[in-house]
Amino acid sequence: MAEGHNHPKSLPHKEGETSPPTISPARPGEGRDPGMGGAHSARWDNLARGLYRFRSNRLSMLGLLMLLFILFVAVFAPWIAPFPEDASGATNVLERLQAPSEKHLFGTDKIGRDIFSRVVMGTGLALQVGTVIILLATTIGVTIGAISGYAGGWLDDLLMRITDIFLTVPALVLAIAISAALGKGIINAMIGISLVWWPGFARLTRSLVLSLREEPFVEAAYGIGAGHARIIFRHILPNAVSPIIIKMTTDFGFAVLTAAALGFIGLGAQPPTPEWGAMINDGRRYFPDEWWIATFPGLAIWLMVFSWNLIGDGLRDVLDPRSRR
Amino acid sequence: MNIRFYILRRVALIIPTLIGLSILTFAIARIVPGDPVGLAAGPRATEEIKEALRREFGLDQPLPVQYVDYISGLFQGDWGQSLYTRREVLGDLRTFWPATLELTTAAVIIATLLGVPAGVISAMYRNRLPDHVARVLSLFFVSFPSFWLAMIFQTWFGRDLGWFPIGKRLPVLVAPPPATTGLFLVDSLVQLDFETFAVSLRHLFIPALVLSFGAFASITRITRASMVEALEKDFVRMERAIGIPYRVIIFKYVLRNALIATITVISLNFGWLMAGAILIETIFDWPGLGLYAVHASLSLDFQPIMGIAVLYGIVFSVVNILTDIVYGILDPRIRYG
Repeated sequence: MAEGHNHPKSLPHKEGETSPPTISPARPGEGRDPGMGGAHSARWDNLARGLYRFRSNRLSMLGLLMLLFILFVAVFAPWIAPFPEDASGATNVLERLQAPSEKHLFGTDKIGRDIFSRVVMGTGLALQVGTVIILLATTIGVTIGAISGYAGGWLDDLLMRITDIFLTVPALVLAIAISAALGKGIINAMIGISLVWWPGFARLTRSLVLSLREEPFVEAAYGIGAGHARIIFRHILPNAVSPIIIKMTTDFGFAVLTAAALGFIGLGAQPPTPEWGAMINDGRRYFPDEWWIATFPGLAIWLMVFSWNLIGDGLRDVLDPRSRR
Repeated sequence: MNIRFYILRRVALIIPTLIGLSILTFAIARIVPGDPVGLAAGPRATEEIKEALRREFGLDQPLPVQYVDYISGLFQGDWGQSLYTRREVLGDLRTFWPATLELTTAAVIIATLLGVPAGVISAMYRNRLPDHVARVLSLFFVSFPSFWLAMIFQTWFGRDLGWFPIGKRLPVLVAPPPATTGLFLVDSLVQLDFETFAVSLRHLFIPALVLSFGAFASITRITRASMVEALEKDFVRMERAIGIPYRVIIFKYVLRNALIATITVISLNFGWLMAGAILIETIFDWPGLGLYAVHASLSLDFQPIMGIAVLYGIVFSVVNILTDIVYGILDPRIRYG
């Protein structure tokens, strides 16, 4: 969490920048599987080509820059925020409801907390929320989708019917129900959202596995006696990575949005957590006269989601050449 | 296989999904670590009062019995009661649902009217300025938290400019049209009451516009992608060769081919926007399912939440079936099987 009062992460040595270029040592793990060498290098060629195409897309680079800026703010939040203690319960009633000024860039809220500090301190939280939701949803979804697509038969039917049930109700509705049941709080909101976010990943992975499983190299692996787990993890899933990464990237922004929505409703983060959605809810009663309380957290959410959407859009072009021509 | 049989089969297939959904919602409602009865009874309630409440709502029965009660009730039109208001959930849903349906439908229509042309223009001017503008705009707007943008728009267009009302479906002094469908626009038209129609349209516009932004990007993207694909088909080259005007080719032949994928995305968006409406309604004081859902979830009143989830499940399934039927109308090559 960005609000920690610990020391900054030690920066890389400055000397490193001026040292003569060296041949980078082999990456750990490489060469462990000589039989896959060819596939690896082809994959790396593709990656390099994709990277080039991504870099030549100005909008995606803008998104990446925005995200780097957000990461910078998140990491250095305690030094950027003039009043970091305002994010963890400090109040200053004497300075309540002040309009933006030099001292309080984004103004102050009803108990005198500095909005700028709270927005800055909330950056890391928003990133963490998105990361946890996407990683949990991907793990569950890819596992279920891979099993479903690979096994086929009744197991496939069963898992897909379960997935369909989740897909018949809009994610936000189920997320509200689950978070309400688990109890208010940011952790429960994250669990709730993850539990409704996986079906998309399951469907996607299943469709990828279904087509990959018919490939000759899978048959070959099976022929030389590879186990099911090895075939899934070493042969099928590595070839299904690109679409899954696209979905992770485009979904990241929307996961942050959904968490903010739960915070706004009052089910997510509870005070004094500097969660942007909850801050908007806080400022709602003072809008539009004290417009700054709700406006700046909203802009922060927008910046975060927009940067991920730009990156996701660019990645889609790079990794899925069919989508943009 | 003919289409009537196909539709019947699809409708029949909703039932197992809904049973699964009811199990899911029931499971969610019963993992409540909080004490809904305690909350409903109030902090001073004695054990006896809580016990009586539990008995009243059947919460003292074993779980399987509770579930069987719940599911048989669902099919008989008894969707349970709110712990707080003691009103029938199904009755409440009937009251609130039309408002949400009207808002969502309007938003989907706006998103389609904005998104499809944007996608067509993007495809026609592929990788040129209009394409980039459409792409940036759609990503720009979809990235806003809808509830925040709703607040801003409400203030700008409602308070500062005074162009639109700031909330609700109708002014306090205007009587709603006699309820046939509960959709004020439809009901007032049926009564030929154009004044009420205009007023409710003005109330509807800003909430629906904000809600539609959530669907704008995906509709634009899919329209563009499928247009680009269709533009490269041989029939396009042939039509151009025999001298059919480009505009006619685009709108008469290419768009129709491209619309299949777009319609899928539009129908998916219907479900998403229905959920997004929950957030918009709280800002505009729109008396739909959203306000109802938020209030119920904050007070751990699970019967309404389960009801809303089941209702959303039914609506979404029906929309999916309708989508499949529209496919067949648009593309005669599609056979139902």
